[in-house]
Amino acid sequence: MQTFAVIRSRGDWLVAAASLRVTLVLLALFAAGVAATYALDTDAAFALSAPLGLLALNLAAAIVANPVFRRQTALLVFHLALLALVVLAAAGRLTYLKGQIELAEGELFSGQLTQSESGRWHRSQLERAQFVNEGFTIRYEKGVSRAETRNSVRWLDDRGAEQRAVIGDNQPLVRHGYRFYTTFNKGFAPVFVWHPTGGAARRGTINLPSYPVHEYRQALEWTVPGTRTTLWTMLQFDEVLLDPEQVSQFRLPERHTLVVRIGEARHELAPGARLMLPQGVLIYEHLSTWMGYTVFYDWTLPWLFAACMLAVASMAWHFWQKCVAQPWDGDA
Amino acid sequence: MTAELQLLWLALMLYTLAGSTAIGAAVLAKRPERIILGVIMIGLTAHAVSLGLRWERLGHGPFITLFEILSSNVWSLLAIYALAYWRVPAVRPAAMVVMPVLFLMMAWLLVTSSAAGHFPPTYRTVWLYVHLLFGKVFLGSVLVAVGVAGLILLRHAGVGVARLPQLPDNVRLENLAFRFMMVGFIFESLMLVAGAIWAQDAWGRYWAWDPLETWAFATWLLLAFFIHLRVTVSLRPYQSAALIMAVFVLAFLTFFGVPFVSTAPHKGAV
Repeated sequence: MQTFAVIRSRGDWLVAAASLRVTLVLLALFAAGVAATYALDTDAAFALSAPLGLLALNLAAAIVANPVFRRQTALLVFHLALLALVVLAAAGRLTYLKGQIELAEGELFSGQLTQSESGRWHRSQLERAQFVNEGFTIRYEKGVSRAETRNSVRWLDDRGAEQRAVIGDNQPLVRHGYRFYTTFNKGFAPVFVWHPTGGAARRGTINLPSYPVHEYRQALEWTVPGTRTTLWTMLQFDEVLLDPEQVSQFRLPERHTLVVRIGEARHELAPGARLMLPQGVLIYEHLSTWMGYTVFYDWTLPWLFAACMLAVASMAWHFWQKCVAQPWDGDA
Repeated sequence: MTAELQLLWLALMLYTLAGSTAIGAAVLAKRPERIILGVIMIGLTAHAVSLGLRWERLGHGPFITLFEILSSNVWSLLAIYALAYWRVPAVRPAAMVVMPVLFLMMAWLLVTSSAAGHFPPTYRTVWLYVHLLFGKVFLGSVLVAVGVAGLILLRHAGVGVARLPQLPDNVRLENLAFRFMMVGFIFESLMLVAGAIWAQDAWGRYWAWDPLETWAFATWLLLAFFIHLRVTVSLRPYQSAALIMAVFVLAFLTFFGVPFVSTAPHKGAV
């Protein structure tokens, strides 16, 4: 008695690889991979990519071996679109970039990310995606619920002409394929000018912790450029900037002081105040703001969309043909 | 009580009246379809005005709180079922299965707080509305399929066999239910695509395996599995009906369970 079919030739292997029963097993494995990724709350790429890759092979074999795909064009187009989706998703994973930046008002983004992860084959062109943060407005509803974010940005286009835009919420800035999104992460940024003895002056900012999330932790420790002097700096003000009882807007405090500690010494700085240090003079200029952005790059996005639309349209076409060909209450 | 809530109560009472009559008509083999459809239409109109008043008052659509999601889905599910009820007579006895599901949702709605929720700025996009529309058509189609599948399962269990003599045989009913599932599959695919476009603009990624995305995709996978299983092995009608029920349970949990246990930003927008 023979209980297993013997696979004799390459054609048999193809038929076996194209089996719908294999499809069912692989779909179940993929579902298990999805469930494992979700339940374990981890980036288990292998649990997803392995069954998905096998499903793609199974589908490719089916397209070659199964004559139904030659008889039913819509079904063929649908499954080719699915294959294209898998290939595009894989290409996207190999070439994507996700990152974060923080820019003070007036600061130029020059291509440096504070955090990033990218695909193995990503070739950064971030230096071409320069722009300047021109400041933002954020409205808050009662209860300090964040409403609209409007962030003005400007940049020079490829011809050197200045361009301006307002981004925020659902509107990213798109430069050379890189998409810059405003985030809830933003806050106050004291602006300093550092005059080192015998050196050129430099202007810079420190980005205090996000506001209002860290409303009671508006302090930061930092090191003066080119020295080993560490400053603990805290923003101090008495106003209620975001009143939970009414609609409000993110703004700078009308009056504030900057508390600076160097070792045991404590200083309170108002805008324009100078701090004499052994290596030079630190001037506190004024208080500004900073905005946190997420950066995303994936060149496959429009192609993914096109493949999705093609898949759905061909699937609808296929089902429509099936329904028209045979009424549901007709004889089988 | 505000006019908005009065109209909602009126609509729920009319739905209950129409649903009970539809169940009674199926059991007693009576045909008051015009009356049932008329009552449902009046209920849908009152409910639509109630939803519109709330929309006007709060400045956003009914898709933030559980109350709003239940209310808008009762409306959309009933509208889709009423359409099927009108156009496909074989679906009418499915009221025995569909209406109890809707009654449960209505009861849940009545014990849910109608307080307003915060409307996140990322929800101010046309893609949210596209996403919602596709999602509602998906769930409505699956609900109609569930109604037909329920009839198959009732027959298989020997319940109400004598009361449902006028219905086509189970093979044909399964075929009908499968067609509604195909419509559901198309619209769930569209819902996922529209959601991905929205997520890309709102959070800078088109897919992140957040709980709602994962559950919605699991539902899509189960539907794909069902379609492939149906062409691979010759499923008996009751087996097919059981799978349709499973898809609905997963979809129902995705719509009304996951958004309210998730801490991800993508919540409630179904």
